[in-house]
Amino acid sequence: MTPACREIRHNILNASRVSGHGHIPTSFSIIEMICAVYDTMRHDPKNPHWPERDIFILSKGHGALGFYAALAHYGYIPADELKTFGAFQSRLGCHPDRFKVPGAELSTGSLGHGIAVAVGMALAFRLQNSPRRVFTVIGDGESNEGTVWEAVAVATHLKLTNLTVMLDHNRSQIRSLPIPNPAERFAAFGCDTISVDGHDLEALKGTLTKPVTNTRAVIANTIKGHGCPTLANNVFEWHRKSPNPEQLVQLMGELNAETV
Amino acid sequence: MRKQFKDTVLDLAGKDDKVVVILGDISHFLFNDFQQKHPDRFYNMGICENALISITAGLSAQGFHPFVHTITPFLTERSLEQIKLDMGYNRFGGNIVTTGASFDYAWDGATHHCYTDLAILRLIPGMEVTQPGNKKELDVLIRSQYNNGKPTYFRLSDHGHNVDMPVQFGKGVALKDTGAAVTVMTAGPILGNVMEACADLPVNIVYFHTLKPIDHELIARYRHTKIIVVHDAFGLHEAINEVPDLRTSYHGLPDQFCVWYGTVHDIRKKIGLDPAGIRAAVQARLKG
Repeated sequence: MTPACREIRHNILNASRVSGHGHIPTSFSIIEMICAVYDTMRHDPKNPHWPERDIFILSKGHGALGFYAALAHYGYIPADELKTFGAFQSRLGCHPDRFKVPGAELSTGSLGHGIAVAVGMALAFRLQNSPRRVFTVIGDGESNEGTVWEAVAVATHLKLTNLTVMLDHNRSQIRSLPIPNPAERFAAFGCDTISVDGHDLEALKGTLTKPVTNTRAVIANTIKGHGCPTLANNVFEWHRKSPNPEQLVQLMGELNAETV
Repeated sequence: MRKQFKDTVLDLAGKDDKVVVILGDISHFLFNDFQQKHPDRFYNMGICENALISITAGLSAQGFHPFVHTITPFLTERSLEQIKLDMGYNRFGGNIVTTGASFDYAWDGATHHCYTDLAILRLIPGMEVTQPGNKKELDVLIRSQYNNGKPTYFRLSDHGHNVDMPVQFGKGVALKDTGAAVTVMTAGPILGNVMEACADLPVNIVYFHTLKPIDHELIARYRHTKIIVVHDAFGLHEAINEVPDLRTSYHGLPDQFCVWYGTVHDIRKKIGLDPAGIRAAVQARLKG
């Protein structure tokens, strides 16, 4: 884990403790994915609406706390603001609002929407002969939604090579409807598909710069709660839970001891 | 009216390179000339209505003025959440144009009937909802609203009325005002039946092609009268009653599925929306 990704996770734990809101495990599973995107794409935190920027959409909007912590790391919002997560007058709701959060391109929350809007944006950039690209992170639970596959079918039919779909394959759906073979599924839909360790930042960045012949699908094999065994081994208990003071100390200790 | 839709959009596309057409595997033959003239702005994306709405929102987000078009229930009832969130909540507008409602596909049965579209889309903040009654109304309304960045709904019909009137988005029209004690309010193509039914009856007739925003000022002028809303869908009656202190009744759809086939005229006759049925309802209101 890079120091930056560890620091982002620190901020997630602290924000969850102060705010009382959670979704920590799923926020932990997407940190390297989001950092890989922001390390790769064209963007300017000082000018979030820069007309030549690439687009990132967190289609799995319930990972908002991880997204906000990453946005704070990249300079879009003050890190101190994270403690307002979910509060009545906060900009930082438990799902992102594009009118409130600098860097949020789409208000998401209901699953299966962001990826399809991303297809429309990628098509728009092609029509404009623009080099702008679109990146979206979807969840494995989200992949139960039919609209995910409608969107992928359209994207590959149109050969939208400027669109990257990153699947947070954290296997949360073992409790209901698993997606056991995502790489095969995305490849069968025509995606230029690659599987990668979703916590290997450099490997992830490598997948985003590799030339593709069709819509890129990155199957990021991740661990819910990555970095804290207490979370990773009890993901369902911790799905929306916020740590008490003792648990915060324990989780911080686990995170600091994490050496990978 | 569907051909007018194509003609209007084709004309607009020639002047505005932000116009894009997305079809849900319907009307593609009709749009042949559009496809030939603007192949990069024509997409028959298949039968995936939910995604079509989201993709439309994505195009709008990047500055285009998209038209998304397919059969009414599938693009509105089925895709309500996409319209609500991706176009409404996110304020990525665009033009939703549907065909088949309420009973233009009568022969296809209840799966293809649609009469809630106007009512449910009215409930989405920022949404514009129209039910053009004929080609002229459609042409005027599309040209005035297509590029305003808002989500706008246009419901086409194969059976338009032939009443000519001035058309302005958001404005109703008093087609007949005799100072009568009863006012018939209606919207869209059913106006043809209303005019025939009420030709010699002592009523005022007020017409709307825009259901949201509804013309509150015009409605309020008839507050002192008994109002009967005649409509082959839900939504107009509710919209009219946004104006307080009205005495309204509704003559339209029953609380049951219309499980018959035939033509739109057969269905209208069955549920009392043919001229005779409307006349009987208005006469009852005159007495009641």
